[in-house]
Amino acid sequence: MIKHFLIISFILIKSTYAESYVRAGGSLIWDSKNQNYTASENVEFSNDKFIAYSDKMIAEYIEENNKEVFTKVELFDKVKIEFKDEIFLGDYAVYTRKDNIIKLVGNVTIQSPTRVLSGHELIADIDNNKRILNSANDESLVEALLDNNANN
Amino acid sequence: MNRSLVDKIINILLFIVLSLQFLIYYHNTQTSTQVLNQQNISVENFSSIIFNQSGLTKIGSKKLNKVNENQIFLEGKSYLENKEYKIYGEDIEIKLDEEVSSSQKPVQVINSMGTLNAKGFRNIDSENKIYFDGSVTFITND
Repeated sequence: MIKHFLIISFILIKSTYAESYVRAGGSLIWDSKNQNYTASENVEFSNDKFIAYSDKMIAEYIEENNKEVFTKVELFDKVKIEFKDEIFLGDYAVYTRKDNIIKLVGNVTIQSPTRVLSGHELIADIDNNKRILNSANDESLVEALLDNNANN
Repeated sequence: MNRSLVDKIINILLFIVLSLQFLIYYHNTQTSTQVLNQQNISVENFSSIIFNQSGLTKIGSKKLNKVNENQIFLEGKSYLENKEYKIYGEDIEIKLDEEVSSSQKPVQVINSMGTLNAKGFRNIDSENKIYFDGSVTFITND
């Protein structure tokens, strides 16, 4: 009984505090003067919102309450971002922490269980659960989504 | 006959003595190939503080080898600690004049972002940059 309780507690704690990490297959450079980290080759970035993969990453940070926190994460080449049941693909992506927005540019694709959309640029507003997909000729394909709005 | 024998013995003795003198002279004038460097110093269970671009950095190791005036080698388990980071590794080379420290052995770095594990590092203090080559995992507090 106690054993089961401990296992369930461990799973709950682990799922509540998702691990944030950066992995790089080639190299990582910590530039404390310009306050950024540059990772290259098979880069994997994870936070409590999403997991991202790319060939290169530059993550800027600031110091907050004696701790460093990422403010802006740029991903270059073969970008893949997994967010819940959606997958975003593109050539370049930038995530800004202050507004929780992911912007992808170049050969963008959104894959979800129900659809696959392609375009030139994607703006994914995580907090407002909204996606804006633009085509290359600036004709905007707007999708105001998703579950929260599905019943409206 | 006896006189002739004595002369021969004296000649032989003189030859031996002269030969010995020649050997002694040759040995004393031969160039030594052994390099004596009194700067080489080894200290065990060493810890110290150095001042560089990052401010004060505490260093320590199982054994310190002073290579020359500008270069030290932290042999075995070693560490560098300052207000920005704690680097725990082994066999760390420090070039004081260039303000560079490096190691090809596994290293763990703890800073205010998290804990980083890599296969080696090169810390160029004058650039405020630390390079980690090869596979790197950085668990962040983010």
